[in-house]
Amino acid sequence: MTITRINVGPVHPSTHGVIRLVVDLEGDTIVHVEPRIGFLHRGVEKLAETRMYMQIPPYTEKLDYIAPMSYDEAYVATVEAAMNVQVSERAQYIRVILLELQRLASHLLSIGLLCNDLGQMFTGFMWTFKDRDIVLDLLQEAAGSRMFYVNMRLGGMREDLPADFIEHTLSTLKYLEHRIPMYVSYLEKNPIFIERMKGVGVVTKEEALDLGVTGPVLRASGVDYDVRRNNPYYVYPKLHFNPKYLQSGDNFARYKVRILEMQESIRIIRLALKDIPEGNALGAPIKLRSPNPVNRISVVSRELPRGECLMYMVADPQKPYRLSIRSPNMINLAAIDHISRGARYADLFSILGTLDIVMGCVDR
Amino acid sequence: MEDDKIDTNSEEFTDAKKEMDKLVYESVKDREIKPNVIFAKLSDFTRSMPITKGVVNWARVNSMWPMMFGLACCAIELMDFGSARIDAERKGYLLFRGTPRQCDVIIVAGWVTKSMVPEIKRLYEQMEKPRYVIAFGECATCGGPWWESYNIIKGIDEVLPVDVFVAGCPPRPENLFAALMKLQKKVGGNVEG
Repeated sequence: MTITRINVGPVHPSTHGVIRLVVDLEGDTIVHVEPRIGFLHRGVEKLAETRMYMQIPPYTEKLDYIAPMSYDEAYVATVEAAMNVQVSERAQYIRVILLELQRLASHLLSIGLLCNDLGQMFTGFMWTFKDRDIVLDLLQEAAGSRMFYVNMRLGGMREDLPADFIEHTLSTLKYLEHRIPMYVSYLEKNPIFIERMKGVGVVTKEEALDLGVTGPVLRASGVDYDVRRNNPYYVYPKLHFNPKYLQSGDNFARYKVRILEMQESIRIIRLALKDIPEGNALGAPIKLRSPNPVNRISVVSRELPRGECLMYMVADPQKPYRLSIRSPNMINLAAIDHISRGARYADLFSILGTLDIVMGCVDR
Repeated sequence: MEDDKIDTNSEEFTDAKKEMDKLVYESVKDREIKPNVIFAKLSDFTRSMPITKGVVNWARVNSMWPMMFGLACCAIELMDFGSARIDAERKGYLLFRGTPRQCDVIIVAGWVTKSMVPEIKRLYEQMEKPRYVIAFGECATCGGPWWESYNIIKGIDEVLPVDVFVAGCPPRPENLFAALMKLQKKVGGNVEG
């Protein structure tokens, strides 16, 4: 049979961000997918070499604009590792609470967009965005902005939690706990959803390890790995964190892992709000001259909502000599050729939706 | 000349809403239908009167269709604009269209790289006239935090004629609503609803 070549993007309603996919089809079956990236490249790593240490968080935040605070924290933790700064106990709790709230917002958006990709299931999109707005209101209360926060400082936070934050968070969590089963029943009772998700885009355990995919994509394939448990940071061990993983490795498992992770996040936030100690949560204010780093090379690994991020920094006095970022999205996107080979053309977008790629992070 | 009978610049036609009501009322009167029933045929407008600027503007202003076109961070706020809390449809900004041929306004949300410029130009040229551009966010307005980057153009106004600029990093979805209302006022006529 002849092979047809179709060009998807760079501006396409179903690609999240600006990506071009060159798809080779045999009939309706995908033979080869080649992602062409670089439409959002802006040279974050190069810009970081010309900035002082605490001028860089606004740039790293814009890497993953669906979960900005997690990248903010990953960068600040790298600088803390370079300068040997300890984070106070209360600040650790606050960071864990805010990061898990950010994960909730991110997974909600990812499920909403997945509904959009599966042929305009607009109810799911509207529901998740409504709930995401409620979570973002909490983050706005704590950090002052809807999307970009820059509220991490060396050794702590820019400001402590506001007075009634705990009360508001508890009521929001109660609401979300009531909403998540509604999503599950809405989506999993829908025969179209099941048909397009179950058994499509399967990644086996061996394949997942070979491809190096991370995050929910890895855990959906039956690998029990999560940086928060395997290489713990902050107070995650105290909160008895348990990674959720499933065996089947198809689209449905990738969606389901996100639902389970949201429930786990809610549990963790509840525990952290209960245990949060009194004390000083404020970090060092930003000054014209920062302290000089002690360690020349520092590497920090963090579990972002989309997978494991590795930040490698070679330090110079006052500014980084080199900042290198291993982005989880880039790794997951590279697997799309292998995953979608043999699937139907229409399934390409559901696979792309469950991989949940942010192009700002891929292109950097 | 038929056109001479009606002075379109006269005071009674400056208000598009009044003109519309009058047209509807007259068309209803001819058909001997109860005046509280809203019923009008498009041919009634075109036959009885020349299509005045007011009617076209009234229609144009109250159905601004934005294009589904997001680049970066601001596109997330753009999605929020289309979702439940803001409810963009109540002012006529119908849900985002997937093709440029059905759209009136392109919202450039995010930083514009050099490799994206030809694509944006092409999308803009595919849109039907009249077409409007909104630069949404710092990056589309002036380059924003990427001013020193080697791959970003410093504002979409280097490429396209921008009608409304929206400041903020990212602007809130409400700001987009305000920007579209400003555009409606710029196009002419009162904003309905």
